[in-house]
This record gives sequence, C-alpha cells and structure tokens, in this order.
Amino acid sequence: MTERRLQHVMGMPVVVDVRDDGAWPDAVDTVFAWLRFVDTTFSTHRPDSEVCRLDRGELALADAHPLVREVLAHCERLRGKTGGYFDARAAGRLDPSGLVKGWAVDRAATLLSEAGARRFCVNAGGDVVVRGGPWRVGVQHPRQRDRVAAVVELTDAAVATSGAYERGEHIVDPFRGRPPAGTLAVTVLGRDLATADAYATAAYAMGERGPAWTARLRGCGAMTILAGDRVLCTDRFLRHRVPMLSPP
Amino acid sequence: MRSVLAALVVTVVVVVLLVSYDTRVPMRLNPESALRTPAAPRSAAPRATPTPRPHPPGSRTAEGRLFTTPYTRIQVEATLYRGRLVDVRTTLLGGSDTHTNALNARAEPILREEALKAGSADIDLVTGATTTSLSWIEALQSAMERAR
Repeated sequence: MTERRLQHVMGMPVVVDVRDDGAWPDAVDTVFAWLRFVDTTFSTHRPDSEVCRLDRGELALADAHPLVREVLAHCERLRGKTGGYFDARAAGRLDPSGLVKGWAVDRAATLLSEAGARRFCVNAGGDVVVRGGPWRVGVQHPRQRDRVAAVVELTDAAVATSGAYERGEHIVDPFRGRPPAGTLAVTVLGRDLATADAYATAAYAMGERGPAWTARLRGCGAMTILAGDRVLCTDRFLRHRVPMLSPP
Repeated sequence: MRSVLAALVVTVVVVVLLVSYDTRVPMRLNPESALRTPAAPRSAAPRATPTPRPHPPGSRTAEGRLFTTPYTRIQVEATLYRGRLVDVRTTLLGGSDTHTNALNARAEPILREEALKAGSADIDLVTGATTTSLSWIEALQSAMERAR
C-alpha cells in the first residue's frame, strides 16, 4: 500500500506520491496543510497575505513572519548569485513566488522524510523533488505536448523547468521588462528545488546567454531548448540523461 | 518495485501530453490513447476519428467528476476489467493554449549541442508538465473510483 494524492494548492496541482510500504495519510495531510499555510502567507493573489501587505507598505519587514523574512533574504542572495536575473521585484511589485514554490516543496520533502518516508516524490505544477530512487523524470517537450524532450534518472534530487509551458507564468527579463527571446525552456536539476527553480527562472530570463551561464553552475545540471529545436546540455545533465527511443 | 497505480500514472502522464496538445474547443479525443505503452514509438501524423473499442463481459465503465482548473475543464471515462484499467476516454477537454514565438539563437561552445530528438520512455513523472496534465490524472482517478 502506498500513498498518492493530488490537490490544488498555491494555484497549481500538487502531487505527493509516497512509494514506501504502509499508509501515509497523516504525513501527506501535514504536507498539504503546510502548503496551504504557505499559500495564505505568501500568495500574491490574496490581498490579506503578508507578502501583499508588505508590498503595500501596511506591514513592516521587522513585523513579518520569520519565515517571510527568511524567504525574502534568500531571494536577495539569489539575486546576487544570478547577476540580477532572479529578481523578486522583476515585475515591479514584490513577488517572491519564484522562490516560494521551490522552498515550500523542499520543506514538504523534509516533512515526509521526518515522518519516516524514504522513497517519494512531490510534483508541484511540474517542478519536482524526489527522494530515494532512481526516478525517471521526463522533461516535457516545449512545443509538442505529446512528447518528452529528454528523460533523466534522479535519486535524492530536484528538477525544475521554466519556459512558456504554463499559462500565467510570465517570466520577464528584469533588465528589459519583457520575456526573453530565442529560448523555449530551461530545465535545471540539483540538490534542492528552491535553487533549481530559481536558476531555471534566471537562465530562461537570460535568453541566449542562459546556456553558458548554466554551464558554470556548481552542483547543478541544465538543459536549454532553443528555438529551432536545438538543445544544449551541460555535462552534469548528460550524466543523468537516459536514452530515449527516437520518433519514427 | 513500482505500484500498479504508479505504472498507470506513468502511462497517464505521457498520454495526457498527447491529449492536451490542442485544447481550444471542447472535443472528443482518441479513446485508445491511454492504452499505448509509454515506450511505444508514436506517429506524428494526425489521428483517426476515435472509435470505441469493445471490452469483454464484466467490464465496468464510468465517467468521473468534471474537474476544472482556471483554464480547462476536464472529464474522463475509465473502463475497468477485473479491477484493471483497460480503457480511458477523455470525454471533455475544454480551454485554450498559448505558444512561444520561436526565434533563432546561437550555440555556446562550452555546451554540448544536439538536435532535439523527441521520443518517449518509461518515466515516473514529468517536469514542465501542465496544469492540464496533472488535473487529467485527478479526473482519471475519479473515473476509476466510480468504475470500481
């Protein structure tokens, strides 16, 4: 008996899939309760969330929830590491969503580990944390929805994809104020989802400069799909890649 | 060991990618799509009009609840035979879709370059999967519960 559940939370479908023997209803309950707390506190769509109140100046940073301060400090560190391409204020207002999702899912994985689970995955709207393994993770083809563009085999890892996949996900080049050109999607794998997701967002926002930047990342592998169906993979990404059948 | 449901989800995810390709208008989709094995090569050619396939006596078919996301409405019909999923039909998939403009870009010599070879393989989950595809799994589970 294993536990698998899907709920819509934080504006996206989240799948928790525990493959260990036994029933895990309480652990999975705790995960979704945690994600609902994150949504209530960090949502940019809820006028009464702490993030919205901070943005409007109704809440001082010093009075914000300690976890809010932790996330915003983390955003600042990432802004430095990505040369400004990961920016919680890229759209002109405070929006740490690009980090919150990965950060929240990393903590969800910690909650499951602490409950004793060893082999599980959490898939939050297409960004993924896996524990145990190996897991085979397909990267959705950015233009052909009936295809996967690559398959990677991962154990104790996280993988995030940024691109023009999801409606409502409008990644903006913070220096030009518009979406990047020439890049269809960037997939980053690494140890934690907060970093992988932020790096994928930043590399996508960089446009054609993104692939070279990903090649210098420590502890992360990346695959960039460029317009014209050209694919650039870092060595680390290729080490995880498994062969696929070619189309007929 | 992978559970039956897990294996099913693998199939489902790949199939969902297939059925969510064009979602501008509510439509009926290939009822046999869910029976494709994930490793099977698939043709890019347009698919024929769906024809319901026959099932052995004792099969149970049920339509799941209607699931809505902010962008799509999804309803799935499942057929079980002796407790195993033998057929899936997406009976409703309504919504709309966007695509990125494609522009040329130059290669970076520091990276290995290869042509995009789209294919399929036995996979557990998908990164970059859409809200539609994940919701489709939910809709399928609902249909399977009702068919039991």
